[in-house]
Amino acid sequence: MTEALFAGMDQLFTLSTMVTMLLGVVAGVIAAAIPGFTITMAIVLTLPLTFTMDPLQGVATMLAVYVGGYSGGLISAALLGIPGTPSSVATTFDAFPMARSGQPGRALALGIWASFFGALISAIILIIAAPPLAMIAVKLGAWEYFSLIIFAMTVVASLVGKSMLKGLMTGLLGLFIATVGADPMMGVARFTFDADLLANGFPFLVVLIGIFAVSQLLQEVEDAEQPQRGKQLISSNVAFKPLDALRETLAHPVNLIRSSLVGVFIGAVPGAGGSIANLLAYDQAKRASKTPEQFGTGAPEGVIASESGNSATSGGGLIPMIALGIPGSAVDAVLMASLMVHGIGIGPRLILDNGDLVYGMFMAMLLAAFMVLVVCLFSMRLFLRVTDVPRSVIVPVVLVFCVVGAFALNNRVTDIYLLLGVGIFGYILSKLNYPLAPLVLGVILGPIAETNLRRALMIDENWALFFTRPISLTLLILAAVSVAFAIRHRLRQRHAATPA
Amino acid sequence: MSSSAPSRQTRSSDRVVVDTDTRRASALAHLLLNGTLLVLFGALFVQAGALPSSAWEPLGAGSFPRLVLAVLMLINLGIMAQEWLHYRGAPSAAAGLVKRWLWRQRLAFGVLALFVLYILGVPMLGFRLASLAFLILVQFALGARRPRSLAIAAVIAVTFSFGLDWLFRDVFIISLPRGPFS
Repeated sequence: MTEALFAGMDQLFTLSTMVTMLLGVVAGVIAAAIPGFTITMAIVLTLPLTFTMDPLQGVATMLAVYVGGYSGGLISAALLGIPGTPSSVATTFDAFPMARSGQPGRALALGIWASFFGALISAIILIIAAPPLAMIAVKLGAWEYFSLIIFAMTVVASLVGKSMLKGLMTGLLGLFIATVGADPMMGVARFTFDADLLANGFPFLVVLIGIFAVSQLLQEVEDAEQPQRGKQLISSNVAFKPLDALRETLAHPVNLIRSSLVGVFIGAVPGAGGSIANLLAYDQAKRASKTPEQFGTGAPEGVIASESGNSATSGGGLIPMIALGIPGSAVDAVLMASLMVHGIGIGPRLILDNGDLVYGMFMAMLLAAFMVLVVCLFSMRLFLRVTDVPRSVIVPVVLVFCVVGAFALNNRVTDIYLLLGVGIFGYILSKLNYPLAPLVLGVILGPIAETNLRRALMIDENWALFFTRPISLTLLILAAVSVAFAIRHRLRQRHAATPA
Repeated sequence: MSSSAPSRQTRSSDRVVVDTDTRRASALAHLLLNGTLLVLFGALFVQAGALPSSAWEPLGAGSFPRLVLAVLMLINLGIMAQEWLHYRGAPSAAAGLVKRWLWRQRLAFGVLALFVLYILGVPMLGFRLASLAFLILVQFALGARRPRSLAIAAVIAVTFSFGLDWLFRDVFIISLPRGPFS
């Protein structure tokens, strides 16, 4: 192990690799900060550039984009209230209110430090505990995956918005939207009505952009009576104090470590990436907090939980990929593809046959975390310049980026029509106070849920197995507990609001 | 002083009327949305039943969507029951509420209308021209009216239409819709 570690470090710490990693970090931060540009897109765009590099340099550069992207998502989440990536949905809950209340610098600095510690903790865990954690992940069968998704959906439905029923509705609506197009098992066209527009279903990225970006931007301009013309989205009086933010972040060590561990574990579960981790970490932080009522209003604990949780998935996501050859997310799939381009076999023998490469990747994760920190801290004032841009500029420009993002995903004009439809529908839902995060999560998890349910019943038609397999049962119990807690919490709130 | 007091009082009572109106209108909107979705989901539920089953697995292509749609319909009914109580409990809305609301939202609807035209215009005019026109018009609608603001708006429009097109075409090798004039 030590020999492989040093060999990996030897290959990693070269000038050319460090330079391409630094560029990768900057590209990742910027790409994820632009709504509509996801980490996956940034990595896909980076992939062709790494073909001429040696394997470790190529993978290290892409890892730099990956880690940078997780931190960059916080910028648009905090400053615009639009998650740059699905993994920063929960960041909008508190970072955006904090920024809107005149503390954008604090929101960003807290997020940067939390991201750094999340990535750092995950990289350390990845190095120390990759094999045993991968063993836990490998034990999950189709029953456990399905139960995990049920658990995630109930958590999200109970987490966001004022009505759990509305949260469940939008979550299920997301699951349904994901069924449009080709059936994942048999390839049968479903609900397409022979229209080209629906032939390929709803790509989740298009739904994400439409639901969050388009509806959010329309809300920004909706009240014509208020004197908002040319008004900035948030205050221009930005106080950026990174050292204060570091102290504030470290003042919540339990939250930081718990959220990072949630991120590592969720990242290690294939299919469950940063999009779930940030919400689960946020949920856990809210439940453990002494002041849960402050969550959603600009609580620093919320920002720390979400950002450390999502950044920690970057390390966790590599565990099943390296140990089992199973990509934890779309981003991991692209990383895997880049290794395969270089003729490196992916699977359990990867560590045995290419130890130097794997440990070089581990070290690249650590290095990327430090690079992101330095880049963000030194260039944060540039990012804060976003606050100087008036609404009349941000709204149309981001809408144009939304169209570009939706189109560039598959080079299909029909995707921008879908973007429009989803955006208008999202706007109607948000006007009626339906939470939108469960819908997006439903679209992402829908195919995984359906495939695993059907696979489980193909293996054994006995439905009882969902309740007799220990991990599956535990997850279903957790889902029921999550619903029960949410109902009890709402009843208490209603009781407290009723005058004596 | 004496003249401002009644006007403040009037404004406050107006707000109460608007809040009450909004509550009733919001309940009605929920009823309409969930009613429409209920009918839609019902039709899709029936359509899903016609999807082919598989010889290899107990669940066919239609089972999972039917399961989701069935639960969705139950939730729709639950929300409708809740909102019906709210609707019945709220007093009738004042006349002209919809007109007032539409007028208040004119900026959002204006931007939305331009966005619809933009989306339709991208395949017809190409990304560059459609984006140029959209960026200038929205910036104008949102407050860029003075010569200096308009000049900045024009620079931004050119940068994020022609510039973005160049970036994607020549750097990322992704060709955005060209249109007949390119």
